[in-house]
Amino acid sequence: MHSFMTKIIIAVISIIAVLGLLRYKPWKSNGENSLKELIHEGNNKKAIQTLTVGFLPVTCHLTCPVTDYASKTSVSSTNFNSRVFSDFPTVVSALQAKQVQATFMIVPLAMKLREQGVPIKICYLGHRDGSEIIVGKNSNIRSLADLKGKKVAVPSLYSNQNFVFHKLMEDYGMKQTDITFIILPPPDMPTSLAAGAIDGYFVGEPFCAKAELDGIGRVLYYARDIWPNFISCALVVHEDLIKTNPNVVKDLVRGIAQSGAWAETHRAEAAKLAAPYYRQDLKVLNYVLTSDPKRVSYLQLTPTDEDLQQIQNQGIKMGLLTKRIPMHELIDRKYVPLKILPARINVAKIPTPPQK
Amino acid sequence: MTETTIFRNESTKPISSKTANIFGFLLPGIVLITLLLVWSLISFTNLFPTYAFPSPLAVLKSFTEEIIAGRLLNDIVASLWRVSVGFVLSALLGIPFGLWLGQHINARRAFVPMLNFFRFLSPLAWIPFAILWFHIGDKPAIFLIFMASFFPLALATMSAVATIPNIYFSVAKDYDIKGFSLITKVVFPAVLPQIITSLRVSCGIAWVIIVAAEMVGCQDGLGYGIWEARNGLRLDAAVCYMIVIGLLGMIIDRLLNQLTKLPNIRWGYER
Repeated sequence: MHSFMTKIIIAVISIIAVLGLLRYKPWKSNGENSLKELIHEGNNKKAIQTLTVGFLPVTCHLTCPVTDYASKTSVSSTNFNSRVFSDFPTVVSALQAKQVQATFMIVPLAMKLREQGVPIKICYLGHRDGSEIIVGKNSNIRSLADLKGKKVAVPSLYSNQNFVFHKLMEDYGMKQTDITFIILPPPDMPTSLAAGAIDGYFVGEPFCAKAELDGIGRVLYYARDIWPNFISCALVVHEDLIKTNPNVVKDLVRGIAQSGAWAETHRAEAAKLAAPYYRQDLKVLNYVLTSDPKRVSYLQLTPTDEDLQQIQNQGIKMGLLTKRIPMHELIDRKYVPLKILPARINVAKIPTPPQK
Repeated sequence: MTETTIFRNESTKPISSKTANIFGFLLPGIVLITLLLVWSLISFTNLFPTYAFPSPLAVLKSFTEEIIAGRLLNDIVASLWRVSVGFVLSALLGIPFGLWLGQHINARRAFVPMLNFFRFLSPLAWIPFAILWFHIGDKPAIFLIFMASFFPLALATMSAVATIPNIYFSVAKDYDIKGFSLITKVVFPAVLPQIITSLRVSCGIAWVIIVAAEMVGCQDGLGYGIWEARNGLRLDAAVCYMIVIGLLGMIIDRLLNQLTKLPNIRWGYER
């Protein structure tokens, strides 16, 4: 019995040890980070510091992987590693635990966090527009009034899509109860629409383009038609990072701003660059960025008081936000460069992702 | 019927080992091929649109993509590591706790309601707390695995101990075996077969949970792979991860099943 138990114990310990070695790879100096975060390991040896920036695979966060790429292929004093997340609750915990100190996030959620005492600042915006209200391709919905009594999906209570939709309903003189709202993860929206589980949805790209390309849905309203210069997400930075290392924040905001300026004029190239980071089909991203300039815009991304005040007012009106946070506490614009030049990216060197 | 037949669903009729071997490969093979054929047929006839029903070819393609990129191997290691650590931790704490409870009636009275309460609480309900307490990475997943397997293991061990015939203890008393050596020499060997069965069951639960647990708060792992495939609007990749998860689950169960065949444990079934 004893020798038998010893064998079992040895077996268990060796399995754990082998798995542990494979998992943490102690022979590699920077461990798991090296595996998949750095898709385009560049030749930037001049960087003296690195910063991890969180993002989700949506076009509103496109400037994050572009900055990652640019920092490694050009000369900057900070290497940026973009770290992909799959949902906002995880981003929030990562930010609270300071595992990432800078990340992209839906604006009302950032306001809610600030309200709850998480010391964060909005330093820049993700993009303008870039969201659409999608309805079934063959449905007879022609305007908001036709959505009365129907089911509409939004990505989160604290998404600006949800806020703007309610604003639009007010403008149309509709009651809050006229439309049933359902919170759905964006990737499930096109398929839910196809299955008839919902009648429409309002979300950021590329989940609208996906429905169009698959022949499921059509655009009812572009965000800019409802709320000019629509904002979905912003670059959020933890105040600790701003205090301890303002230089890296300066590098970050400049990098993101320059990436935006570059993406605005190099749309097809930006899609090609981002596809491997997003692990998405190049075709969909390309469609979002190049089919119609109305869809997304990477211009005027410096957050203004009026823009965010408008969002906050709507949130308070809906009862989702409770405190009026002064804009100077919420926004930090001092790292935005005076003159925003497009990032210097060698277009010829962007690797071509495998086509489906 | 013994435990083994319940799990393996073997025929009770005696058949020669040679035919058993042939059938053992042939029958599941036929089912597998039929399933693949039906799958190909459905996707070939476009009964469902491709975005809702990926074709076998697309899945195969994403399989090779994931392997070449090295992601699949990394995800497998990550998931196996989390399950092993969580599972071993719960076995190390749960089995001794169960042994102790089984021998003390008052302790049983005190703890069983609480154990049952937590057993029926889905481990997934702990997800928000797992992330808040253990942040992101391996720790929250390990915590969830632990929560999923600790309570069933402790309870199963406890009831196994409670069913040991009294004669065992009388004999042990005659030989003056008590305290710690009573547990290691009499109780533990007597309940080992049941413990191994409950290890198999709770390992199955753990493997199911890891997939859901990795969908939040993780940056890699097989469950995360599915989540990321959804985000990337790539259901073919999700299917490829599903296949890997199912296969690994089968392999793990087979390995644990081997334990029941060891001579030291077998006698337990032949009492």
